[in-house]
Amino acid sequence: MKLNLQTRERIFAASLIVPCFLFVSVFAFYPILYSFYLSLHRIILTLPALGQKFVWFQNYRQLFQDRIALHSLTNTLIFVFSSTFFELIFGLVIAMVINRHFRGWGVVRAAVLVPWAIPTVVSSQMWRFIFNDKYGLLNYIAFGSDVASYKAWLADPLYAFLAVIAADVWKTSSFAGLLILAGLQTIPDELYESARIDGANAWQQFWRITLPLLRPALLIALLFRTMDAFRVFDLVFVMTQGGPADSTNVLQFYGYKKIFAEGLMGYGSTISVLVFLITFVIAILYIRMIGSGLIQEKT
Amino acid sequence: MKKTVFFLTVICVVFFSLLPFLWFLDTSLKTEMEITSIPPVLVPDFALDFYRSSIEHYNLLHYLWNSIIVAGLSTFITLSLSIFAGYALARLRVKYKGLIMGGLLTVSMFPQISIAGPVWRILQSAGWLNTYQGLVLPYVTLTLPLGVWIVASFFRELPKELEDSAKIDGCGHVQTLFRIMLPLAAPGIFTAAILVFIYAWNEFFFALLIMTRQGYQTLPVGIALFQGEYSLPWGEISAASTVATIPLVFMVFLFQKRIVRGLSAGAIKG
Amino acid sequence: MVRRSFPSPFIILTLLACFIPVFFISGCEKKPEETVTTVRFVTWKPNQPEVWDEIVALFENENPDVKIERETGPHSSTAFHDLLTQKLKNRSRDVDVFFMDVIWPSEFAAAGWAMPLGELFPVSERSAFLDGAILANTYDGKIYGVPLFVDSGVLYYRTDLLKKYGFSPPETWERMVDQAASIVAGEKKEGTGIYGFSGQFKQYEGLVCNMMEYILSNNGRMIDPVTGKSDLMEKASIGAVRFVRDRIIGNVAPRGVLTYQEPESLDVFIQGKAVFHRNWPYAWEVSNNPGRSAVAGKVGISRLPHFPGGESHSTLGGWQLGISSYSENKEAAWKFVKFLSSERVQKIIAVKSGKAPTRKILYGDREVIQANPHFAGMRDVFATAYPRPRSPLYPAISNILQRYFSKAISDPGSDLEKEAEAASEEINRIVALGR
Repeated sequence: MKLNLQTRERIFAASLIVPCFLFVSVFAFYPILYSFYLSLHRIILTLPALGQKFVWFQNYRQLFQDRIALHSLTNTLIFVFSSTFFELIFGLVIAMVINRHFRGWGVVRAAVLVPWAIPTVVSSQMWRFIFNDKYGLLNYIAFGSDVASYKAWLADPLYAFLAVIAADVWKTSSFAGLLILAGLQTIPDELYESARIDGANAWQQFWRITLPLLRPALLIALLFRTMDAFRVFDLVFVMTQGGPADSTNVLQFYGYKKIFAEGLMGYGSTISVLVFLITFVIAILYIRMIGSGLIQEKT
Repeated sequence: MKKTVFFLTVICVVFFSLLPFLWFLDTSLKTEMEITSIPPVLVPDFALDFYRSSIEHYNLLHYLWNSIIVAGLSTFITLSLSIFAGYALARLRVKYKGLIMGGLLTVSMFPQISIAGPVWRILQSAGWLNTYQGLVLPYVTLTLPLGVWIVASFFRELPKELEDSAKIDGCGHVQTLFRIMLPLAAPGIFTAAILVFIYAWNEFFFALLIMTRQGYQTLPVGIALFQGEYSLPWGEISAASTVATIPLVFMVFLFQKRIVRGLSAGAIKG
Repeated sequence: MVRRSFPSPFIILTLLACFIPVFFISGCEKKPEETVTTVRFVTWKPNQPEVWDEIVALFENENPDVKIERETGPHSSTAFHDLLTQKLKNRSRDVDVFFMDVIWPSEFAAAGWAMPLGELFPVSERSAFLDGAILANTYDGKIYGVPLFVDSGVLYYRTDLLKKYGFSPPETWERMVDQAASIVAGEKKEGTGIYGFSGQFKQYEGLVCNMMEYILSNNGRMIDPVTGKSDLMEKASIGAVRFVRDRIIGNVAPRGVLTYQEPESLDVFIQGKAVFHRNWPYAWEVSNNPGRSAVAGKVGISRLPHFPGGESHSTLGGWQLGISSYSENKEAAWKFVKFLSSERVQKIIAVKSGKAPTRKILYGDREVIQANPHFAGMRDVFATAYPRPRSPLYPAISNILQRYFSKAISDPGSDLEKEAEAASEEINRIVALGR
């Protein structure tokens, strides 16, 4: 049987993609389905004698009545909104700075990338140390040698929450900046030229040209960061372990505790399914936004 | 006036970006006494005590070695697969291309908690907990979208005529890929490698769950769990953190152009 | 001839090539040797490894047909728990004997991980050990571990300061707070800044330990030992929590204690910045070590205070030895456990590494007391140390307690009755799961 060119190409292409597909199916798609399956059971790892009872949607019903879960959802939402908001602003500043070429520009760009490159647990430990009530840099900067005024930032529910936001904003603003930078670079210089000729000042140029044309980039950065922020875990694990008084308990951390610390695998899976659904919806929005751009065939 | 504002902004940006890291570096070079002094001391003694102690008492070198192996292997495997899939998606006729790319992308957005439990169970039944392959396999899965995405975008930019002329010269598909396309897309592949390596090096959630034996743990897990029952060794934590971060800082300084290019590739068309 | 390009074998080969090296690389661990009978002992990193080396060598000398292979786990109790439970969930054959923190035996027993010791450890033998420690190892009427060292909360205080102001160690919490306030005020007049009290109040397991001591000493309870239900709503329980919130946190103790675990709270004391300090016995050695402590030689130790009408109660801590249900060397494993928990070896551990033994008789032993003078006064403390709720679902219960306590004491305006009610509901629901 002669295989024509097209079919051969199809087979070749398929065989190139299949290995990828295998990995992703086994370690990503299957686990998601299995998580959902687990969430329909009652599973307590330390009481194996009770077996795995199928309980339909009882776990979900319990989840909606779970005060702590609701609280952690609220915490997560507030975290997502606040940190994304600040990251976009700082990211915009960073993007505009990097967009200009000047002497030492390379160093600046590298410096800005350092927070992004550092492992999250390392940056969490760094910030935990900065907020320390005795040896912390923040206390030193704020109060100098007046040791008695040193504050225990991470002991206060509100300040601990702000501290976590601050650490996250520090770490990921540069990434948001890069996404925005890509958008900045697509704005043609001629627009600014003609605006200048027409007598517009820097602020007006920014407001009337830059911002509107940056909308797609900002939106993409927003969606991307929102998805990531919903999955925050490392920061909380290292800095506060959910405390004090559960003020920094976020969804993923709560789910982790339920599954791995308390052995309540069925209920914990319910939380994980919830987190998945939320990020999935956002992911679809994200893909829709950039979809048209990249997945098009270049013929 | 505008220039001063600009340069002030630049300085602020650089300062705040580097401050926490420099502070930790500073802390790692202190002595035991200096660390616990209140108020904190700004200029360290430039002592290497904590580095020595991390290596001797806290297994720093083991963590480093494990991170190198895991990140290195993950990068190698992911890149190999990314080259194959990226080429196919960029240059060949594939049905449902959009669906595949989209599907891959969603995978990178799965919350770790949603796949961690089942992945743990899979590895447990395979007996692969606390083994290198047990961590490398999930890492490959998590970094494939990133790798494929970047490699595909670099392949896409190569001129279409290349394949046609290769065909005329009598090359089969495989030869076209390896002899012609690959060398030209090498910069893109290198970029993808850097980004994948950094991701694998920094990953924490799966490393925490899958590697519970100290002999197999990676740097992030080691650093997060450094505190013992009765000790919170800030000196050693900062020393280990510096060791974990310096390679990345070097990478960033050397390859910043590629990194920026890779990260913004695909974010917006063009 | 049609040239077919079949890349598939090529790809499969490449993939295989990637995987092969992985299987040959092993982590940074020593491989166990194959000898007569190898008993694998999972332990954490000890503070004085030489003492352990000596003990293991002693055992191997007396039992030439058994070799001990030690696997060292992480320092932290939680991380050690995760490592151990992962092995046991796996029914791994590379663990025979292991350490259990005092709150794990119920969990390990219910899950079938720890072997019931039954006749190996009969009631007659058990009476030689501290009652609280034995209780902690019992689940459903059977015994699952042998206690090796015991820990319990004690009160440390500055002997010099108490002497200066003419105080004797406080018997009630109220007295302690008053004494602390006077001393702090007095020292302030002389220009020295100092806090009254330092303890562990971060949202973690240690918080439960600290709070239980207040609650029990007020005749309150956290969990009813018979029904397993929550007693947090009892007046006495709430009263104790209220006391901590209003009189301790932010009052005699700095608000920073809400972020402290053992190391940070101890730091405050040994830097001379606290009059009173609650911690485990290990802090004695550290506080009196001139190389680390600024108050060496000025430290006193006593029972924790109580509330009027109540009795002093400290939380039981400590470590026990368990044998894995999946072990293939149970006999040899028991030999080792019996050896370690024997009077002779416990004495070595007590004298050389300062860990409090679980055999009652050693508290009258001259050499033990000589090496650890503070043990003399502590025998009663250890004897009455109270275990935390014993349940296979303890981790879940503990998380609820931690949450409740942290919320209650960190917010000066917290509605204690409401929080206690919510926490009780959750605890009762969890407990019901297990029935």
